[in-house]
Amino acid sequence: MDAWLEFARGPLFRLSFGVMMLGLLRILLLDLYGAWEAYRRAGDKTLPWGYIIRRTLVWFFPFNKVLKGRPFYSICSILFHIGLILVPVLLFAHIQLWQSGVGISWPALPKPVADWLTISTIVFALALFIGRSFSRMSSFLSRKQDYLWPLLLLLPFVTGYVCANMSVGASTYQVTMLIHILSAELIFVLLPFTKIAHCILLPFSQFVSCVAWRFPADTDDAVCTTLNKKGAPV
Amino acid sequence: MNRLDVFKSVLWTLTGLAVATAITRFIFGLGAVSNLSDSTPWGIWKGLSVVPGIALAAGGFVVTAVIYVLKREEFHRYAKVAVLIAFLGYLSAATALVVELGLPWLVWQPVIYWQFHSALFEVSWCVMLYLGVLLLEFLPVPLEETSWFAGLRRFLTKYKLVLVFLGIMISCLHQSSLGTLFLITPEKLHPLWYSALLPIEFLVSAIAVGPLVVILGVLVICYMYRKEADRKTLSKLAYLGFIVIVIYGVIRFVGLAVNGKLPMIFDGSWQSTVFLIEIALVLVIPIVLLGIRKLRYSQAGLAIACFSAVIGLGLNRANIAGVMLQVPGSQYYPTIYEVFVSLGIVAGAIIVFLFCVEHFKIWDVKWKDPRERPEYCPRFDLGSDVWLGSPGVTERVKYSLVFALSFALGFALMPQDRIESKGVEEITVQKARGGDTLFIDGNYDTFGTLFDHARHVDSLGQKESCVKCHHMNVPLDKESGCWECHSSMYTATDIFRHDWHASPNGADIACDVCHEPQQERQKASAKKCRDCHIDLYADNTADIPDTYLAVSYVDAMHILCVNCHRERAVADTTRVALAQCPACHTGPQPDYLKAEMRDELSRPAPNHVMMPPAVLQVKEE
Repeated sequence: MDAWLEFARGPLFRLSFGVMMLGLLRILLLDLYGAWEAYRRAGDKTLPWGYIIRRTLVWFFPFNKVLKGRPFYSICSILFHIGLILVPVLLFAHIQLWQSGVGISWPALPKPVADWLTISTIVFALALFIGRSFSRMSSFLSRKQDYLWPLLLLLPFVTGYVCANMSVGASTYQVTMLIHILSAELIFVLLPFTKIAHCILLPFSQFVSCVAWRFPADTDDAVCTTLNKKGAPV
Repeated sequence: MNRLDVFKSVLWTLTGLAVATAITRFIFGLGAVSNLSDSTPWGIWKGLSVVPGIALAAGGFVVTAVIYVLKREEFHRYAKVAVLIAFLGYLSAATALVVELGLPWLVWQPVIYWQFHSALFEVSWCVMLYLGVLLLEFLPVPLEETSWFAGLRRFLTKYKLVLVFLGIMISCLHQSSLGTLFLITPEKLHPLWYSALLPIEFLVSAIAVGPLVVILGVLVICYMYRKEADRKTLSKLAYLGFIVIVIYGVIRFVGLAVNGKLPMIFDGSWQSTVFLIEIALVLVIPIVLLGIRKLRYSQAGLAIACFSAVIGLGLNRANIAGVMLQVPGSQYYPTIYEVFVSLGIVAGAIIVFLFCVEHFKIWDVKWKDPRERPEYCPRFDLGSDVWLGSPGVTERVKYSLVFALSFALGFALMPQDRIESKGVEEITVQKARGGDTLFIDGNYDTFGTLFDHARHVDSLGQKESCVKCHHMNVPLDKESGCWECHSSMYTATDIFRHDWHASPNGADIACDVCHEPQQERQKASAKKCRDCHIDLYADNTADIPDTYLAVSYVDAMHILCVNCHRERAVADTTRVALAQCPACHTGPQPDYLKAEMRDELSRPAPNHVMMPPAVLQVKEE
């Protein structure tokens, strides 16, 4: 068991972390490069920057969704994201690992806060899952991965909470810790290749889609030519 | 799959592995990825990347010299390829050097701080100058693609000849000075390779193989992009190389014969076998294939001859700069990670080369990927069965994925036992030996500094000056030594002994004496030491630290001595030397202490500071 833990913490962690970091960077660069190429070809090069920034901020802090539409679902989603992002990054135990491994560290969350955030993440992930399953509108739009993701994200949180706060036997601890590490690594590897890539694409998505809807300079002529109506007003 | 596809995928894979290794090297240091040591500081990074990279870059100046000095205009179409190969060769050598040396932010220092005694000083200048010249020579090609910097492009094109001549001069200087560098290693380098003619051998062999590298580059891209190579011109260029190879062979064997080393070639040792392989690759095969006219004009003959010569020259440089350069008794085998870096740098250079071929006018036209042509039917991706877009987009998507995955794989393959932190070895400090003159040598490894106690008392102001160094005392003591609190050589120590204070076998003090009854029992809220130990601090008016953490012995010495010496040096400009290392680090212990410490001499010395004799002499003057 020790060897498994060692393997999961060492090579497997580095593999999955490398895939995640470079994968996300790759997705981001491809995204921006594509947008830049579209912009270069676009006929209309004026971009509504104010609108783009406003939309980006709205989607970054989607509090307005709370007021209209589906308040319960939106609140669950926001709180879920807060815990999901803060706990893994700012957990003291994780920072200690970075400190002992590479020698870098940053301020940590106080333990009670981290514990409560973990619990809230677990609760809201379940709420989101249930909401998706039982709302007809949501389940109509959902794919398999949309159901699986909240459950997969739950795994490291539940196992991490067990390891940090419950007194369990040594062997149970090791198994739980192994599940904790392996599930987190599975998430790392899948992250850049699934919808979770929005964690890095979100700040630019409004800009990219705005640029993507700019047609190349001579599109109107090309369309008219194709429709056999050359010279007709567009 | 297309052959270009396979080739590029392999290149990106190798680059990914190399980048992962390089990052690990920069985070965890050389020891994490390489087997380099103090006795073998030059491994395959020098032998496979730096020195051969520079030798193979010689095509740049040779071909331009042939075109502009010998006025052979028929080779003009290969000028850009030659310059590009030279530029990439130097760039990859410089990259390998940066990965090996580390501290890339200090590369500018040889420009400012001139070190005339260093053989590498001249080498570093040559690399920087020639890299600059090559950059300026090549710059007009990418600038053609854009309307920006048109003035710069016109200027560079106008003064092309100046750059060409500068390139030829610096290159000759550098190729031969690399050979000169190895003249300082007569007892390290194997006699079959060591020769007083090394500078000439380096220069001539580089001139010989330089054009062959260019030919090989041309043949490879002709193969990759399915173009017909212009064999006639290439063979003519190869013939030039052939002549110089013959001259090189003569120089090499005459050198061996004059020194009576010829019998060593067949003495059966592994070195002689390597020598024979090298000679076969760099001399025999090219001379045979290029010497026979029919073979020289055939594509296969030309390709094999060039490839063999390139590999042979690489082997020659690898032998001189690495394999045969060994201290007796030390063994060095490169790790797989060192190989990753060496291969990855070459792969990266080839990627840049292909990029330039596809995007700039290296020839008269750009050589696009065949799939870019309009008649090419779109293909579905083998893995995902989807159309990934036009070839340009497909390339981006695919190769970036290959790179990311191979980077992660390389990162995962890093040796766990080497990148794990083992911490600093805990060494307990012992009392300094001697009387009025102390020998400060905390770990008793016999490398320390002499400290004239009486002289310091005199110059710092008699009795009042004691507190400057003896700032704190062990309870019930008046003149505690440094070692009593700063008791660990390289790590900090907590000098407050909580267990001893609370233990019935020690002070046996109740908790409430130090901790307030109602408060949480923490260090911060507890009583301070000096509340009980009134004579703890020698000077009660001075700033008193909050923690009871004594810095390591080495730090304590350096902070105390260096700060005071520095103040002195600033105040009295005639005594600048006080603030320099040799003021204290004067070498190993003096003779009269030797007898006393003879039994200690057998102990290993893990971390000592010694000044070379030259520095000591300067100090005495």
